Amino acid sequence: MTDLAALAVACGPVAVVAPLALVFVLGVPALVGAPLPERATDRACRALIAIGLLATLAVFVLMLATGDRHVVVNLGNWVSIHHPTDENAHYHFAVKFEYDRLSLPLAVLSFTLCGTIGAFAARYLHREPGYTRFFVLFAVFLTGMVTAALADTIETLFAGWELVGLSSVLLVAYFQERPAPARNGLHVWVVYRVSDAALLFAAVALHHTTGEGDFDRLLGTAPWPHGRAAIPEGQALVIGLLLLLAAAGKSALVPFSGWLPRAMEGPTPSSAVFYGALSVHLGVFLLLRMSPLIAASGWLAVAVVALGLATAVYAYLAGAVQTDIKSALSFASLAQVGIIVAEIGAGHWLPILWYVALTHLLGHACLRVLQFVRAPSLLRDYRELENAIGEQLPRPIGPLATAPGGVRGRLYRFALERGHLDALLVCCVVRPCVGLFLWLDRLERRWAAFLRGSAPVDGSSTAPRTDPTAHVAERRT
Amino acid sequence: MNHLHQADQTSQDGDETGSPTHRFRAAVELAAHLLPAQGPITVFIHHNTLHAFEHLPFEEAVARGAAVFGCEPYLTEDRYREALAKGRIRFADLRAVLDEELGTSATDGIPPSCSRLDLRLTMLQYPLATGTSAELQWTIAESDALRRVRPESSAAARGRLISETRRWVMRDLRGRNGSNPAWVRDLFDRFGSNRIERWSDATWESFALEALWNVCRGGAATAPAVASPPPPSVRHRDLLLRATGADTDRPVHDLLTRFTAAFLDQGVSHWPLPDREHGYFRSFCALYGRSGGPPERWLRDVSREASQLLAAGTDPAEAACASLAALGVPTGDWGEYIAATLLALRGWAGMVHQVEARGDRVAHPIPADSLVEFVAVRLLLERFAVAATARDELGYRGPLEHLRDELRARTPPAPVRSAEERAFPVFQLAQLFGWSPAELTRLTAGEWVLLFREIDAFPAIERRRVFHLAYERRFREQCLDALVLHDPHEVAAPRFQAITCLDEREESFRRHLEEVAPDCETFGAAGFFAVPMYYRGATDAHFVPLCPIVVTPRHWVEEQPERHAEEQHHKLRQVRRWFGTTAHKAHVGTRTFILGAVLAATVGVLAWVPLTLRIWFPRLASWLRRRAGRVVGPVSHTRLRIERAPECGPANRSDGLGFSPDEMTAQAERLLRDIGLLRGFAPLVFVIGHGSNSLNNPHKSAYDCGACGGSSGAPNGRAAAQMLNDPRVREGLAARGIAVPNGTWFVGGFHNTCDDSVSLFDLDRVPDALRGALAVARDNIERACERNAHERCRRFMSAPLTLTPAEARRHVEARSEDLAQTRPELGHATNALCIVGRRPRTRGLYLDRRAFLVSYDATQDADAAILTRTLQAVFPVCGGINLEYFFSHVDSPGYGCGTKLPHNVTSLLGVMDGAASDLRTGLPWQMVEIHEPVRLLIVCETTPEALLGVLHRNPALGEMAVNGWVQLAVLDPHGSAVQLFQKGEFRPYTSGGDVLPLAATSADWYRGWRDHLEFAEIAAGGAV
Repeated sequence: MTDLAALAVACGPVAVVAPLALVFVLGVPALVGAPLPERATDRACRALIAIGLLATLAVFVLMLATGDRHVVVNLGNWVSIHHPTDENAHYHFAVKFEYDRLSLPLAVLSFTLCGTIGAFAARYLHREPGYTRFFVLFAVFLTGMVTAALADTIETLFAGWELVGLSSVLLVAYFQERPAPARNGLHVWVVYRVSDAALLFAAVALHHTTGEGDFDRLLGTAPWPHGRAAIPEGQALVIGLLLLLAAAGKSALVPFSGWLPRAMEGPTPSSAVFYGALSVHLGVFLLLRMSPLIAASGWLAVAVVALGLATAVYAYLAGAVQTDIKSALSFASLAQVGIIVAEIGAGHWLPILWYVALTHLLGHACLRVLQFVRAPSLLRDYRELENAIGEQLPRPIGPLATAPGGVRGRLYRFALERGHLDALLVCCVVRPCVGLFLWLDRLERRWAAFLRGSAPVDGSSTAPRTDPTAHVAERRT
Repeated sequence: MNHLHQADQTSQDGDETGSPTHRFRAAVELAAHLLPAQGPITVFIHHNTLHAFEHLPFEEAVARGAAVFGCEPYLTEDRYREALAKGRIRFADLRAVLDEELGTSATDGIPPSCSRLDLRLTMLQYPLATGTSAELQWTIAESDALRRVRPESSAAARGRLISETRRWVMRDLRGRNGSNPAWVRDLFDRFGSNRIERWSDATWESFALEALWNVCRGGAATAPAVASPPPPSVRHRDLLLRATGADTDRPVHDLLTRFTAAFLDQGVSHWPLPDREHGYFRSFCALYGRSGGPPERWLRDVSREASQLLAAGTDPAEAACASLAALGVPTGDWGEYIAATLLALRGWAGMVHQVEARGDRVAHPIPADSLVEFVAVRLLLERFAVAATARDELGYRGPLEHLRDELRARTPPAPVRSAEERAFPVFQLAQLFGWSPAELTRLTAGEWVLLFREIDAFPAIERRRVFHLAYERRFREQCLDALVLHDPHEVAAPRFQAITCLDEREESFRRHLEEVAPDCETFGAAGFFAVPMYYRGATDAHFVPLCPIVVTPRHWVEEQPERHAEEQHHKLRQVRRWFGTTAHKAHVGTRTFILGAVLAATVGVLAWVPLTLRIWFPRLASWLRRRAGRVVGPVSHTRLRIERAPECGPANRSDGLGFSPDEMTAQAERLLRDIGLLRGFAPLVFVIGHGSNSLNNPHKSAYDCGACGGSSGAPNGRAAAQMLNDPRVREGLAARGIAVPNGTWFVGGFHNTCDDSVSLFDLDRVPDALRGALAVARDNIERACERNAHERCRRFMSAPLTLTPAEARRHVEARSEDLAQTRPELGHATNALCIVGRRPRTRGLYLDRRAFLVSYDATQDADAAILTRTLQAVFPVCGGINLEYFFSHVDSPGYGCGTKLPHNVTSLLGVMDGAASDLRTGLPWQMVEIHEPVRLLIVCETTPEALLGVLHRNPALGEMAVNGWVQLAVLDPHGSAVQLFQKGEFRPYTSGGDVLPLAATSADWYRGWRDHLEFAEIAAGGAV
C-alpha cells in the first residue's frame, strides 16, 4: 500500500467521526442542563462540518492521485461470532466504509448542504426555545446521512438509515406544543418503520444468501457502478424488492407518498435540507448502491421503473393543484425523485443512466434546497416577476385543465385529495392488520385461558373497543 | 328536506320572523363580525384585533374575547410579577390602582384581621399555589409546605404564627386531650406531646403549619363551595371530543382547508379549481359529488348528499338549514352555533369574508355570498363527520338530531372544588399575614364564608387586570412627567426642515437629525403627506393605492421616464420582459415533469452558487444582485406625472388622472396646515416617506408605512415635494395666506427603516443656489442615519453593544439582505405613546422610539377642524397598530400568528403553520417579541374643551376614548398642565417627578442598555 493510499484510509474515518463528535459536543452539555450558547453552537457546527468536508475532499483528492476508485476503510468488527465447527455459520458486523464514485458525491453534498443550512438556521432560529434541540437533531441527521452514504456493509447502512429516520421525525415534530406536528411526525415515523423493517428483512436475506452483510461480497469488488451481483437472479429479485420497499418508504414513493407534504411541519431550514434535498434522496441512493442487483434481474428493473414513473405522474398531478408553496415544492421534489428512480431502473438496459441518475440527484438536491429556503419570498418573487412582465402572471393551462369535464373533475379531485393514498393505506392495510392483530390477541388469551383451565379473561376491558390503531398515526396527542 | 324546514318553522319562537334561510343568512352575517379582519397579507393593514368588541369597555372586551376566542386577556401573572420585581411596576402603582378601584370599601375588614386592600395587595404580590386535590396531596406529601413557612413571609408574620401557636398549644390544648378535636390528638401523637417541652424551633414551625392546615381545611368544610357550572358546549364536536377523545374537526378541517385554499388561490397552483366561478357551494358539490371519490365512509355519505343537492339545485342556505335541522340545532341556538362553528376555522373563514367583501384587492375575486356557502359546506361536512364518529366511537345509531342532548346528558357534572382546594390559598395567606391557627379557630362559619368569598372575588383574571392597570399607570406617569418637566425648545431660522411620517420609528431618526444639525427643524405628518393616489412606478406592473385604507383615492399618478430616456426605457422594458418571462417559465418548469427533470439534471447543481452566496455572503450577494439589476433596472431619469393629462394613466380611466393645479394647491395647503408649517420656511424642506425592505419575509407589508396602506411612502413624499415646488401651487398657497418664499425648495425622499438609508429624489432640479446647503444637509442626514442604526442595534440581541455607528449601519444593511433573518427590523414594536402637538414640546426628549409624533399647532386651529381630521387618522391608524401589537404579544399563538419559522405561504393570501393549518392572522412573535403591551397614550396639545368637542362630534373616536381602547390626555398649549381623560371627563394630572435625567446625546443615554429606557432630557445642541 502506498503512502497516499494509507493517508486516504486514515482520512476516511474523520468524515464520519466529525459529525458524530458534533452530536456529542452539542448533546452532552444539553443533557447535563447547560446547553451551549447560540454562538458557540454555531461555531461548533461550522468547525466540525468543515473538518468532515475537508476530510472527504482529501480522500477525493488522494483517490484522484492514486487512481484508486474504491477506498475501503475498515474500522473492525463491532460483533463477531464464530461457530466452533462450521466455518460458514459465523456472523460478523463490520464497521466498514467505502469511498467510491457514488458515496463521495453524496457525502460531499451532505456536508456542503448541511453546512450551509446550518449557517442559515443559526440565524433563522435565533432566540428560539428549541435552538439546541434543533442543532442536536441536525447533527444526528448529518451523522446518519454520512454513515449511510459511506457504508460498505448493510448493517452500517442500516445504522445511518435509522439515525436519519429518527432525527427527521423528531424535527417534523419540532413544534411539539401543537398537535398537528406531533401527529404528522408520528405518521412519518410509522411509514419509516415499515421501510426500516423492509431493509432489515433485506439484510437478513442477504446474510442468508451470502453469509455476510458486506457489500463487496454481494455486489462484487469492482468500483461502482461496475459491480456484479454474486447471487442468482431469483434471490436478487427478492432482496431487490425488499430494498425497493425500503426505498419507497424513505423516498415517499407511491403508495407511501402521503407523508411527504405532512413532513413540512418543522422550521423552514429543516424542511429544506431534509425533504427537499437529502432525506428524500436516501431511498434513491439505496437503489443506486444496489444497482448491481438491478443489473442482475430484469423483473426488478421493471418494478423499479414502474414505481418511479407511477410516483412521478402521481406527484406531478398532485403538485399541480397545491396551493401552498411548501406542499407544491414537496410534490415537485417527489416528481423528480420518481424520475430518478425510473432512471435507475432503466439502468438495467443502459448502465450510463446510473450516472445520469446520480447527476440528476445532486442537481435536484441543490436546486430544491434553494427553492425551499427561499419559499417565504414567494410573494415578493411573484411581485417582481409581475413587474418585469408588466402584467398578471400567466397561469399556464396545462393538458389537465383542458380535459373533458367529467375526467377533469375526477382528476382534479384525485390531485387535491393527494390520490387518497393515506386513506387507502388506512382502509386497505392498517385496518385489516389491526383486525388481524386483535384477532390473534383474542386467540392467545383464549389459548392461555384454556391452558390455565379457567374462563377466558375478558380482553375488552383493557383492549380498546374499536380499532384504535387505525388512527394511531393521526389521533390527537 | 322541506319537511325539516317546516318542523323548524313550527317550533320557532314568536320573536323570530322571516324564512329559515333569511335567519340563517342573518346569523352568518352577525357571526362574521367575529372573524379576523385581516385581508391579503401583501397589503397588511394594522387594525384592532378585537374590533368586534370595540363597542364594549376595553376590560370587558378582553374578557369577552378571552371567552369567545379562547385567548389570553392580559399577560400572565408571572410576567407582571417579574415586572414588579424589576421595578417596572411599583408597589405604589398597585396600591393606587386598587385604591381607586375599591374606593371606600378598601378599608373594609376581612376576617380574621386584614383589610380588603391588604388582602388584594398580598394576593397580587405573592403567587398563591393552587391545584387539584391530587396535586395538593402531592405538594403536601412531597414538598416542605408543612415544614417551612413560605419564604416570602415577613419575619414578624412568621414569628407571630409560630409563637401564637406555641402559646395556644401550651395554654389551651395541652392537658385536655379528651375534648380536643381529633386532628389535634392526632398531631400530638405524631409529634410526641410527652416531650413537648423539648420540641425544637423547627418542630414548632412544622407543628404550627400542620395545625394551620387542619384549621383551614376545617374552615373550608364549614363554608360551602359555590359551584357555577360552565355553560354546556354548543358544538357536537366539543361534546364528542370530551366523550370519546375523537376530534371531528380534524377530518373536516383537513378537507375544508384544502378546498378553501384551492377556492381562494390567487396563483400558486398551476391548475385552478374547476367551476370556481359558480361559487363555493356548487364547485364543492360538483367536485365531491362525483362517483369514485374518497374511500372514507363518511366522505362517501357527503358525496352522495352533495350530488343530490347539486342535482336538485338546492340553495346553499337551504342546504345549511337542512344540515342544522339534521344536527338537531333549534333555531334559537343558531346564532351561537354558527358563530362557534365559524370560529373553529376562523382564519380561513375570515379570508373568505375579506376576499368576498374586497374583491378589488385581489387578482382573482370570488362570487358574492361565498361565506354563506362556506358555512353551508362546513355544516354538511360536520353533519356526516359527527354522525360517523358517534357511530364508530360510541356505537350511537339513534337519530342525529338527538345526539347533542344525548351527549350533554352523558357529560359528567363539573366537579365541585374540594375543601382542600379551597383551603390551600387560605393556608398560604395565613402564613403571609401571620394568622395563627388559634385566631382562625375562633372564626364563625359566617366569617369563614366571608373570607372565602373575598378570596374568590379576586380571581386570576381580576388580578391580571389590576396588574395590567398598574403596568400602564407606571408608563403613563413616566410619559406625562416627562412632558410636564420638559421645556419647549424652539429653533429660530432653521437651516433646513424635514417632514417625516408620524411613525414612531421616525422619532429616533428625527431626534438624531436634530442632534446632528441643531439648527434644523422636523415635522411629523401621516406618511401619505396628504397625497392620496394610485401609483405605478416606471417598472411596476400595477397601480397600487398609496393612502390610508379608509380613503379611496381618486387620482392616478405614474412614474415615467424623461423624454430623452424614453427609448432606453422602452428597450430595457423589453429586456426585463424577456428575463421575467424566462424566469417565470423556469420557476414553473421546476415544478413540472420533463422540463423539471432537464433543469434539475443539467443546471440544478448551479443552484449551489446562489445558495452559498446568499447564506454565507449576504451583502456580497445583494451587491452582485444590484449590479446585475442595474443593467436591466429602471432608467435613472424619471418624473412623476402628477398633473392631470388625458394621456397619462390607465387607458380605461378617463377621469381623475393626476391632479389639477387647484387640487394640488388644496393638497399642499392641507399638508402644511396639518403640521402647522405656515411661516418660517427654511431654504430646503425635505419630505421623507418611509418603507422597509427585507428578504424572505411574508409579513413585509406590515413593516411598511401604515398611512400608505401598507406600501412604501416614497412616491408620496416625492409627489408632495413636486407639488409644493410648482409655481402655480405656490401662487395658490399665497392667495390662501401661506407665503412660501421663492428661495425655498422642497425635496422628496425615502427613508428605508430596515437598512436605515435615505434616498432623495429629483435632485437635478434643485436650484444651483441651494446645492451647497443641500450637500451639507445630505451629510447631516447620512450621519443621522448612522446614529439611528446605532440606536436600533441596541435592541438586536445579535448585534454587539460595542458597535460604532458606521458598523451599526453595516449591521442593519446586512439584516435587510439576509435570507435567514427573521427580524430584519422590529417594526412598530414598543410603540406606546402618541403626541399630537408642536415639535418644540418634545424636541430634546429621548422618547425611546416609542412615540408617534404628530405635528399639530393648536394656536392656528381655532375651530379644531385640523385636530378633528388629525385625530380621525391617529385613532384608527396608531390605535390600530398599537392594539394589534398588544394582542399579538399578549397571546401570540391565539391572537397573533405564532413563530415565523414554520410559516408556509398559501394561496398568495396568507400563511399557514406547517403543512396545513388554519390561516394565521395577526403578527408573528418575532415582530412583537420586545413589545410592551400597553394601550396607546395619546397626548394632544390642546384644550380639554376642544378635544371633548372633537370626541363628541365623532362618535367613532368618542367610543374608542370612552371605552378605553386608547388612553387620552391633553397638554396645555400655553403651559405645562396636563389633564387625563378618565371616566368620560378630563381630570387634572399631578406630576410625581421633579427633574428629568439629563444626557449629552442620545447615545450617552442608551449606550449599553438593551431594555426599554426611561425618558430623558438630551442636552440642547448635543451635536458632537
